[in-house]
Amino acid sequence: MTNTRIPGLGERPPVEFTFASRSVVAQAGDSIAMALWATCDLTLRQSSRDGAPRGVLCNMGICYECLVVVDGVTVRACTTLVRAGMHVELGGKP
Amino acid sequence: MSADRVLQADVGIVGAGPAGMAAANVLAAAGLRVVVLDEGHRAGGQIFRQLPVGSHNAGAIAEPPSHHHGHALLATFDQSRVTLRCGASVWDARPGRLWFEQDGASWLLRCRHIVLAPGAYDRCIPFPGWTLPGVLTAGALQVMVRGFGIVPGKRAIVAGSGPLLLPTVTALLSAGVHVVAALEASSRWRALRALPGVLGNGARLSEAFWYARQLLKAGVRLRWGWTIFGCEGDGRVQRAIIGKVDRSGRPRRETAQTVDVDVVGAGFGLVPSIELGLHLGCTSRWHEGGAGHALVVDAEQRTSVENVFAAGEICGIGGAEVAMAEGHLAAHAVLHAVRGTAVPVAVRKKARRERGAADAMLRAFAPLPGLHELAQADTVVCRCEDVTLATAQAAAALYGSSLRAIKVGCRAGMGPCQARICGPSLQALAGREPTRAMDLPVVQVPLKAVRSETIVNAPPA
Repeated sequence: MTNTRIPGLGERPPVEFTFASRSVVAQAGDSIAMALWATCDLTLRQSSRDGAPRGVLCNMGICYECLVVVDGVTVRACTTLVRAGMHVELGGKP
Repeated sequence: MSADRVLQADVGIVGAGPAGMAAANVLAAAGLRVVVLDEGHRAGGQIFRQLPVGSHNAGAIAEPPSHHHGHALLATFDQSRVTLRCGASVWDARPGRLWFEQDGASWLLRCRHIVLAPGAYDRCIPFPGWTLPGVLTAGALQVMVRGFGIVPGKRAIVAGSGPLLLPTVTALLSAGVHVVAALEASSRWRALRALPGVLGNGARLSEAFWYARQLLKAGVRLRWGWTIFGCEGDGRVQRAIIGKVDRSGRPRRETAQTVDVDVVGAGFGLVPSIELGLHLGCTSRWHEGGAGHALVVDAEQRTSVENVFAAGEICGIGGAEVAMAEGHLAAHAVLHAVRGTAVPVAVRKKARRERGAADAMLRAFAPLPGLHELAQADTVVCRCEDVTLATAQAAAALYGSSLRAIKVGCRAGMGPCQARICGPSLQALAGREPTRAMDLPVVQVPLKAVRSETIVNAPPA
């Protein structure tokens, strides 16, 4: 399922990256978290002890629940913008 | 390699929201060199969030009347000579120095004066299933809609307490989401306490009417004295259990009902972001109505630390009007320190008036202690470390109910959010009588979880 954007705001240039080895087309200016929300990828990491699915909680860089691994570096998906060709993997232990 | 990563300014401002922008505009107009650091990707803060460059809101997303202040502020800010550093996380500071990480690089800002305007974040109160993907803070949903133009889902529930539930509902409606229910834990009668603050303030009154009209138009009724009891779902939220609460916020389990949803927004008010202020050594106080700690400032926004000023939510939750007035005032206080110019009386009066109206509002929506009974023994309370309520309570019973004792006893609050999420409710959850002031958060460097290279490569003071 895709296309969960509010119409009438103006489309931005496409940016392609991979999430868990799958190709995702976002728009320039999207955060990783919001680009993945638009493609209905809500689970961004597994919790540290239980391995439970976790996703965006605060969407403003406070909670660190949306940690993902981008080209080997752990970042917050909500404060990191998409870049063409980036490889995003599910985050592990915070 | 760090030599070129040093900035110089007369004033360093942390936060590009209403308070930070208001301060920056005044200071830049007076000819001072101003650098503003913000974690977001554009100026505006949370309340005046802008869409990414290339997208424009030409009416698709409904905006309350107060947002014209935001547009005016942003227009001036964009044309000013202020240096804005976006995506900047401040992780260490001392008077006259701010260390920050931007795009993975380590930076230092040297500035004689510091204005703290970091804003606030949502207060979370744990309930069963709140860790499921699809359950977000109220603020998160607003960022999604107003900051990125993304549709949160098809069917939503908004629950919590305080005036911020309304913009969350209208943001969802703008995105075409069916808002199944909007749940305010406070009773209608308790909310009447906010009236003096609203009635005496034309702007707040017209704002309230605007929201009422939006909800009416969409057929969404705000249910007073209701909240969310829990969420369920396989890998993501699929159902919400909602019900009534008593006057102290205690869930009345017999009223529980289940509704199908695919997104939930929960926000029980806001918590001032005071960590940086505490680290700088600024004096704070327990803000009874807001049930949170806030920085102490004098009548012209000076903190207890020389050359450090504070404005907006960090001084107590108050909203954009207060923030703009205090940012304005803080800038004049800085100008007074630099040039000896007098602080205009009207500016001081305006800030005091706005703060007074906001305080009345805050008292009406102070967190209800009974809401801490929503969490069950196996509910995760510290999300970073996967600590359940039972474990946190056992730790408190064994080591004591101070924040530090609970932390040492069970690791709650030791993760990368540094207890910003669990901290505000941890003591009330773990057994201390909830009416007591909670402990000050334990603040340590790095104030934000940054890369170790950032710390190693930090430019010297």
